[in-house]
Amino acid sequence: MSVQTQKPSDLTPRQEPAISPLQKLNRAIYRQAPEVFDSIKLLPYNVYKSIYRTTAFPKTERERSEAFFNSFLLHIQPAKIEKHALRFTYTFGLGLLSTYLFLLLTLTGILLMFFYVPATDQAYFRMLDLRSSVSFGGIMRGLHFWSANAMIGAVFFHMCRVFYTGAYKPPRELNWVVGVILFVLTLVMGFTGYLLPWDQLAFWAITVGANIAGKADYISTSLTGLGLPDLHFGLFTKNMLLGGDVVGQEALLRFYVLHVALLPVILFSLIVWHFWLIRKTGGISSPKESPE
Amino acid sequence: MAKRVREEEIFPRNPNKTYGLMEIVKGSSPRVDRGPDDMVSSWPHLLIREAILFAACFVIVLALALWAPPPLEKPADPTKPPNPAKAPWYFLGLQELVSYDAFWGGLGIPGIVIIGLMFIPYLDRHHSGIGRWFAKSRSTACWAFTLIFVVPSIILIIIGTYFRGPNWGFYPPWNMPVEPPIILHSIFGGMGL
Repeated sequence: MSVQTQKPSDLTPRQEPAISPLQKLNRAIYRQAPEVFDSIKLLPYNVYKSIYRTTAFPKTERERSEAFFNSFLLHIQPAKIEKHALRFTYTFGLGLLSTYLFLLLTLTGILLMFFYVPATDQAYFRMLDLRSSVSFGGIMRGLHFWSANAMIGAVFFHMCRVFYTGAYKPPRELNWVVGVILFVLTLVMGFTGYLLPWDQLAFWAITVGANIAGKADYISTSLTGLGLPDLHFGLFTKNMLLGGDVVGQEALLRFYVLHVALLPVILFSLIVWHFWLIRKTGGISSPKESPE
Repeated sequence: MAKRVREEEIFPRNPNKTYGLMEIVKGSSPRVDRGPDDMVSSWPHLLIREAILFAACFVIVLALALWAPPPLEKPADPTKPPNPAKAPWYFLGLQELVSYDAFWGGLGIPGIVIIGLMFIPYLDRHHSGIGRWFAKSRSTACWAFTLIFVVPSIILIIIGTYFRGPNWGFYPPWNMPVEPPIILHSIFGGMGL
């Protein structure tokens, strides 16, 4: 769609007819950058093409592969996949389900952060506000609550699936270890989030949980038998977690920061590593790897 | 359907050649240096399954959020401990263990279990039964994992959630005391606040 430019002839000056300033500008653009007109015509297509670099409905094998490896979101997955890996009854989609729930939790969690204050004299009333005066506040909290509980289940059963199908065996050892850490971190995420509503359920559950952490004193007390001073491991852990002896304002703030900032970042990084390791160890496990 | 024609009619066999056309297959790309495999394009086979899974996941969570809103009890009151005070459900297995022995139940055994889980792939390295559920060659491993980790985790959580009442006493769920007296010295399942 190239447009031919016509150079004004310098040799034979002729009388230009009177033209409007708009036409003048038009001609100036036309002379210096004739493709601008084409660009304007093709603007929607070019914007679309710059974002989505493949055809919308790929037909050939090549286009289908390109749809995956040219896309930022899809390129983490293989362009071609074994039929075995697609069987629902092989994975029950549990790993992906955990990821989806994590994304839902991130989204609803950010929305909830707009309405929450981690202060003992405000937190509970913010919960009441979510139910009564915030638009869709109840649904937001409901989604967050159920996604969190479902994620703990999904991660647990995902771990069981990986064990029962022997998918942790070499070369996937490290990915199993990362998975176990992700499982523990998921539980810690749930635990830190449990305190935030600041109701009776939250307060006493965290009191019980923090007391369990305090039992690490047994280690340091046992070590005094070796002539070491009693370092009170449990008391130290509990105080670090709660910022004091009992669950109070400091504990609420610490749990909040852990829940919305530190742990999500660690969890997200480990999830990315988990995915990368899947690809680098030959994709999802397959019966072809077994000698039988 | 077009009438099936014999191969010889289109590609007559040449007796002077040692090779010939074997078959015509439908496809959009030629396969070079590759035997038959079970690979399919992720687009659309994987993508459509992922989209369906997300839709199902979102619909179920949304339905739960609408019809089973999360609990919210009275505001936190450090002077009014409930009896029994219970941890989140996923830690009730731990709390149940704690009621038997504070350190070993709460930290010792769970710590050993987590470290043990991490060492599984470094100890069980034989390449058998990969990619199959409950492969026969791995029956010992499957039974061990089930009986040492899966079943105890679930049973302890069920006991802690449904069978523990006031003073961490054992009650059947259909006979759970409703408004128990608060006895301050033993409300935490023997943990000692």
